[in-house]
Amino acid sequence: MPTATEFTLKSEGRRLGALNLTSLVWVLISVILIALIVNPLLRLVITSFRDAETGTLTLANYVYAYGRARHLLALMHSVLLGLAVAGLCTLLAVPLAWAVSRTDMLGKGVIRLLVLGAFVTPPYLGAVSWILLAGPNAGWLNRLFRATSGLDVTPFNIYTFWGLAVAISLTSFPYIFIFTNAALDVVSSEMEDAANILGAGRWRTTLRVTLPMVTPAIIGAAMITFLETIAMFGTPALIGMPAGFNVVTTQLFQFFSYPMRVEAAAAYSMPLLFITVALFWLQMKILRRKGFVALTGKGGGRRLIALGRWRWPVFGYAMFILSLAVVLPYLALAQAAFAKAWGRGFQWDNLTLANFQYLIFENHTAAQSVLNSFIFGATSAFLALGLGLIVAYIVIRRLLPHAQVLGFLCMAPFVIPGIVLAIGFYAAYAPPPLSLYGTSAILVLAFTTRFLPIAYASSNAALRSLNPEMEDAVRILGGSHFTALRRVTGPLLKQGLIGAWLLVFIPATRELSTAIFLSGPNTRVMSVMLFDLSEEGLLEKLAALGFLLLAATLVVVAIGYKVVGKDIMLTRRAGL
Amino acid sequence: MRTQIRYNSQRKGTPMFTMFRVAAFRLAMILGLTAVLPSASFGAMSELEQAARKEGQVTWYISQYGAEVASNIARAFEKQYPGIKVNVVRATAQVTYQRLIQDIRANVAQCDVFGITDVGAYVDLRGQNRLAKYSAESAAMIAPEFRAAIEKNGYWYPTSALTIAIAYNTNKIKPADAPKKWADLVDPKWRGTVALPHPGYSGVAGVWGLMVSKLYGREYIEKLEKNRPLVGRSILDTVTMLNSGERSVAVSLVGPALESASKGNPIAVVYPEEGSVIVDAPTAILQNAPHPNAARLFMEFLLGIEHAKLVVSLPRYESVRAEVKPLPGGKPLHDLKLLRASDEEVTQGIPKLIERWRDLFGN
Repeated sequence: MPTATEFTLKSEGRRLGALNLTSLVWVLISVILIALIVNPLLRLVITSFRDAETGTLTLANYVYAYGRARHLLALMHSVLLGLAVAGLCTLLAVPLAWAVSRTDMLGKGVIRLLVLGAFVTPPYLGAVSWILLAGPNAGWLNRLFRATSGLDVTPFNIYTFWGLAVAISLTSFPYIFIFTNAALDVVSSEMEDAANILGAGRWRTTLRVTLPMVTPAIIGAAMITFLETIAMFGTPALIGMPAGFNVVTTQLFQFFSYPMRVEAAAAYSMPLLFITVALFWLQMKILRRKGFVALTGKGGGRRLIALGRWRWPVFGYAMFILSLAVVLPYLALAQAAFAKAWGRGFQWDNLTLANFQYLIFENHTAAQSVLNSFIFGATSAFLALGLGLIVAYIVIRRLLPHAQVLGFLCMAPFVIPGIVLAIGFYAAYAPPPLSLYGTSAILVLAFTTRFLPIAYASSNAALRSLNPEMEDAVRILGGSHFTALRRVTGPLLKQGLIGAWLLVFIPATRELSTAIFLSGPNTRVMSVMLFDLSEEGLLEKLAALGFLLLAATLVVVAIGYKVVGKDIMLTRRAGL
Repeated sequence: MRTQIRYNSQRKGTPMFTMFRVAAFRLAMILGLTAVLPSASFGAMSELEQAARKEGQVTWYISQYGAEVASNIARAFEKQYPGIKVNVVRATAQVTYQRLIQDIRANVAQCDVFGITDVGAYVDLRGQNRLAKYSAESAAMIAPEFRAAIEKNGYWYPTSALTIAIAYNTNKIKPADAPKKWADLVDPKWRGTVALPHPGYSGVAGVWGLMVSKLYGREYIEKLEKNRPLVGRSILDTVTMLNSGERSVAVSLVGPALESASKGNPIAVVYPEEGSVIVDAPTAILQNAPHPNAARLFMEFLLGIEHAKLVVSLPRYESVRAEVKPLPGGKPLHDLKLLRASDEEVTQGIPKLIERWRDLFGN
């Protein structure tokens, strides 16, 4: 029979042992997070003050980066573009979300499906399809206009500021749609009933009562759209460069061209970082202050507004927007992918499979890039999810003091634009001693860091839904935390985790801004390959590669739908 | 018991029998291999080949050809020398040069053979001792017009030549109305119809920019900008812009324009009265090439007849071998007035031209 002292010592020993193990984990996780997040940012700042030749501290990089009119103009262009896109997206998405959520409009299923299609399309593919549709002389819309109106005027020019803004908006509006839709879904009809009783008509109620209740969601989503736009590289490069329209990301690309000036690029990326951090802080403040009681749902039902004779016009409007966003672009891409020369149009002798043959069999880099995208995407999804899950577990179960710091670090990459993160990674890990330049490691690590917030937030939400009783039962019966995680929590979370994995995998396979600087000749990914093909204007082969990318993405999304259910794209769970 | 029986029935026979089988297999392999391997040329070449085959691959940073043509040339080399794989890394000239610089800065040796159209890069690289000196055997057989382009110290060799002229869309412009000289491109008549390459990406575009600036002064590019041209990246993009009908006049490489026309696209070429710009495409081996012997073998291939034939038939460039004649359709070089830039002009002029262009055109 163990004495009291022996028992105490033993249990203390086990407690100490547990503490040692968890301390080790804490240290390990901290080191990893510091290496992935803090170090690149630190190196970015240091590099911006470093002289290229001598390595001494200097302000010369900032002078060079902001001393030229062209560079400053690019900054202004980025902000203007962001504002224009945020405004356009709001105009496009909010009425649509309201119609789908609050009225009895027709074809809601089709609309949602098409919005998902728009969400899944990489923005640069949308850009290519809009070059095919609205090129000032050869674009299909212009040709159609010329043919039907008889006038020799081409009204649509994609190579302009508004052309660029529209092209970006048509692929970015789903974000605002999803958030507004989710927010409107939980607004009960009581308020609307009260307004109606007091004499307000349908439209007045909507504008003065319903929509203001979801304003925080709209503003939050609009801010994120703004931030996404100013950090975007693909579309401004494909459309803005021929248009002579320079933005911050394309200017950063120029700094990476010969003669290469990583230091100037680091200095030039600071405003992007500051704007992003500031806007996120602002968004948090706005979303926290307004109290919207309706959202805590006291059980008021949601009744759909009857549209009456407006049903068909509303449906028509919705289909018009979605044709512009999804149907027309996909058609244009399909036509080009199977064409010898897309300009020759829909003729039988223009049909060919040669583009696909070239990509899969003749151009080794292209074929390899398809594989690379999926391999790197899957690897970074596993890494991000693994890390996010462990940190979320530590934070929620409060295994360590100051665990929130780890959680904060995990969410930090959200505020770093992808292209800035890539420059930070390049500055930190490309040169010796680690020399990860041109390797797949640097690309995978950058992707992992970029999508860690999504993985963490999803894991957090999933873990929160679990009652700790079951794990406590495991501990009482003598199992460690790890056993609890592996045998009980893990299987219960499977569906949520698969959803989180997909939420990282899908964007990772088509990420361009982060990959453009880190993808070397041997580690080409599909998104960068598409950009390479646009160099020679090989739009047919570009469309074919885009087709392959879209087809693969849709397959993965379809699998995701079946496994996880309709909730896959809704970030309600993730609490973002 | 059962295990023992199974083991017995699976025994492969006596050791003697095994040795005989192994020897026969080896003999068959050797015989098979000799049948498959091409008969090697004698002398230094076969030594080079053997050394190259031991290395097994060569990495080629190339901007002078489009991706498709570069793949075809790579495959022709692989067919002629089986067992040596060619890794094609294709981008426009300045992007390719930037890649090499990044490799150098990161102390990574990836590139074996380097081929872009901006000779200024070669001058800079030689100055930094990055290029390997190599006396190519086939260099003696280069046509006389290109002998002058052979850098006397043997650091780089011309492997083809590219000619730049004006191309136009025959569906939109009648031959009589087409522009006849470089000066025509700044005529307001052609406003919004011209397609140009970008000197910040395309090496030949840089040389073209230098030549027209030399002819007409700095204002030429400014007047060109006022005509609202559509600026792509590679000079090969201008042909696709004509193909699609997006633009009707372009500054293009003669070869790819004629190639496109032969495929049924509505394109014709005009050789400007002031002269067509000709750019020799140099190729060099890197000093720290990871596969030096394969690199040398590839260089010999690029200077040889097989490559010359490919060059005149696929992108329809000029070959450096007199034995290989250009395809009918274009004008032969000696019938043309040619504008050539000197190495100094290119080295000094292109970086400044790129900055001016970016300031003028916006990016």
